[in-house]
Amino acid sequence: MSIHLSAEGLFKSYRKGKSPVPVLHGVDVEVEHGEFVAIVGASGSGKSTLLHVLGQLDAPDSGQIHLDGRRIDHVSERQRDQLRNRTFGFIFQFYHLLPEFTTLENVLSPLMIRYGMFGYLARKQQLEQRAKGLLERVGLGHRLTHRPCELSGGEMQRAAIARALASQPEVLLADEPTGNLDAANGQSVLDLLRDLNREQGLTMIMVTHDPHVAAQADRVIKLVDGRVEEWAPALM
Amino acid sequence: MYVYLLCWRYLRTRYIALASIISVMLGVATMIVVNAVMAGFSDTMRDRLHGILSDVVVEGNSFDGFDHADEVEALVRKVGAGRIHALTRTVETPGILSFQYGPETFTRPVQVIGVDPGTRAEVGSFAEFLVDESGEPVKPSFEVDPRLRAQSNAGQLLENADPDEEMFTVLQQHAKQEVPDSGTILGFAAVSHHAPGSMQDLVLAPVGTRVALTFPSVGQSIEPRRDYFTTLGYFKSGMSEYDSSFVFVPIERLQFLRGMGDGKRGGLINALQIKAKDGTNLDLLATDLATALWGRWPTRFRVQTWEQKQGPLLSAVRLEQSILNILLFFIVAVAGFGILAIFSMIVVEKTRDIGVLKSLGASTSGVRSIFLGYGLSLGIVGSGVGMLGGLLFVWNINTVEGWLSRILGHKVFDDTIYYFNSIPTKVDPWTVAWIVGGALLIATVASVWPAQRAASLHPVRALRFE
Repeated sequence: MSIHLSAEGLFKSYRKGKSPVPVLHGVDVEVEHGEFVAIVGASGSGKSTLLHVLGQLDAPDSGQIHLDGRRIDHVSERQRDQLRNRTFGFIFQFYHLLPEFTTLENVLSPLMIRYGMFGYLARKQQLEQRAKGLLERVGLGHRLTHRPCELSGGEMQRAAIARALASQPEVLLADEPTGNLDAANGQSVLDLLRDLNREQGLTMIMVTHDPHVAAQADRVIKLVDGRVEEWAPALM
Repeated sequence: MYVYLLCWRYLRTRYIALASIISVMLGVATMIVVNAVMAGFSDTMRDRLHGILSDVVVEGNSFDGFDHADEVEALVRKVGAGRIHALTRTVETPGILSFQYGPETFTRPVQVIGVDPGTRAEVGSFAEFLVDESGEPVKPSFEVDPRLRAQSNAGQLLENADPDEEMFTVLQQHAKQEVPDSGTILGFAAVSHHAPGSMQDLVLAPVGTRVALTFPSVGQSIEPRRDYFTTLGYFKSGMSEYDSSFVFVPIERLQFLRGMGDGKRGGLINALQIKAKDGTNLDLLATDLATALWGRWPTRFRVQTWEQKQGPLLSAVRLEQSILNILLFFIVAVAGFGILAIFSMIVVEKTRDIGVLKSLGASTSGVRSIFLGYGLSLGIVGSGVGMLGGLLFVWNINTVEGWLSRILGHKVFDDTIYYFNSIPTKVDPWTVAWIVGGALLIATVASVWPAQRAASLHPVRALRFE
């Protein structure tokens, strides 16, 4: 398999007052096409920051990121927006659905962002079909017009997964996707992610602090104080 | 698409923001109502002023008037050929009006104006403003109706007197003294009294009453001249300044009494009032007349259009309207700060959603558009409802006034004070457009800063915001 996403010598620090707080100290990562990678580490080890930098939500201080061999860490803001909209799909611990939108509209939101008003209206039926299909796939076919506040935690996370998939991304980035769910719901979400990875060959990077969750990935990267400590094949 | 959908949803779900636009709504409605009523009053006032003053006035610079009135009139007619519709001569002097009402003698300072009622009625609204005590129209004439004399004390005695008796002549003289030959039209407010709590004006000098007018003669040694006149009607234009001071008398009589003529046509006059034909450029006509008159008799004349003559009053009204508009616009400006404050709160509340939108690929300008669009939508709703409310109020202002009067038990808009049957209003579409446009601009400008703050949020910091 070929390398899909790679990072070399990533440095990132945040400013706290006047002094910089280093978070990533030269991280090197390589993820292959269709691989399911888990990033683990203690709280504050820099795993979420690494995910944000890889997914173009944040820019590294130094280092390079390549997507299919194309460098993407120094692109323009507009290209960065497009990468977030078309290439990467995000799943967050706290779901982050938009409360003003229905479940269906939440799933459609990346597509509304991609196409302008007229472009979206021209494709409306086709896009809605796709979104409904995704909601069926995650088991929320009966919740299309419900608002996020009317869904359970597990349902909200599944809606968030459907939203992340709506833009047909190449890489799915999940930040503690089960961190806010009970064991049963957490497992159901993990099963869903695993299935998507297997069925669609979706490249997946998941941040977790839970070794049992990480164990479900193909490979585990452990971060300690902003450095990759070890690479280990996951315990299957 | 997400921009419009979110604007629409925010508009429908954020009631606190809707509350912030109530002040926009009230500001817009108040401005529309105030402007419509002021424009209505101002237009009515201008119409009346215009009517009273005629279009262009040629005045002599001397209080004693000017001679060669026929020559002056001929020159004016020649210069204004094709532009002049009608022309009349007037004599004006300050004077004292006195009359008896019961045991009391009333004395009032007035402006005595000698006019020819026929031609005066042609140059402007004069005949329209002439009424009797009950408000019925009176024809523009100074002819004393013989019935008035017949109704006087001496006149009633004359009915049964024998014309051959000496007493008959004495009674005739008495009747003439009681009801003099010269008629006069008095400013209504000069001879009426508005009793407190009453809806009716008490007329102190009813039709047929003898009034005395005292005024200065012309010449270097000015002497007081006095004569008696019979009240024939009242001048009621609605302009209190004129209604309380104007007293019209026959021009020839006034000329004779002041020493300006022999009581027949001709003699010295103070002014020529000109009514121009429709579509005439009054300023140009006034300039042409002034130039021609200056060429013939330098320094003798002053030529002014009615607007120039009433310049200070008209500009005071305009100034008043402008200041009121500025003050009222502050209400809308304050509403702008309300929107700014509430929007800033909403941006803080929506920080995480902004982070989510950015993580989904929303651009900085897209996020900015959401809040700018939201501000504009609030402005549209606020100014739209305000405009409708304001216009409805203006269109029904007299009904509202009727209700208020019934509830409060006294007339809110007393037509005996203002001389209007109803509150005059005039809705100028441009004024409404300016007010609504201004309110929209303020609502949008007030949302620029919060929108910019939202747009510049860093996605990661926004997502981590708690």
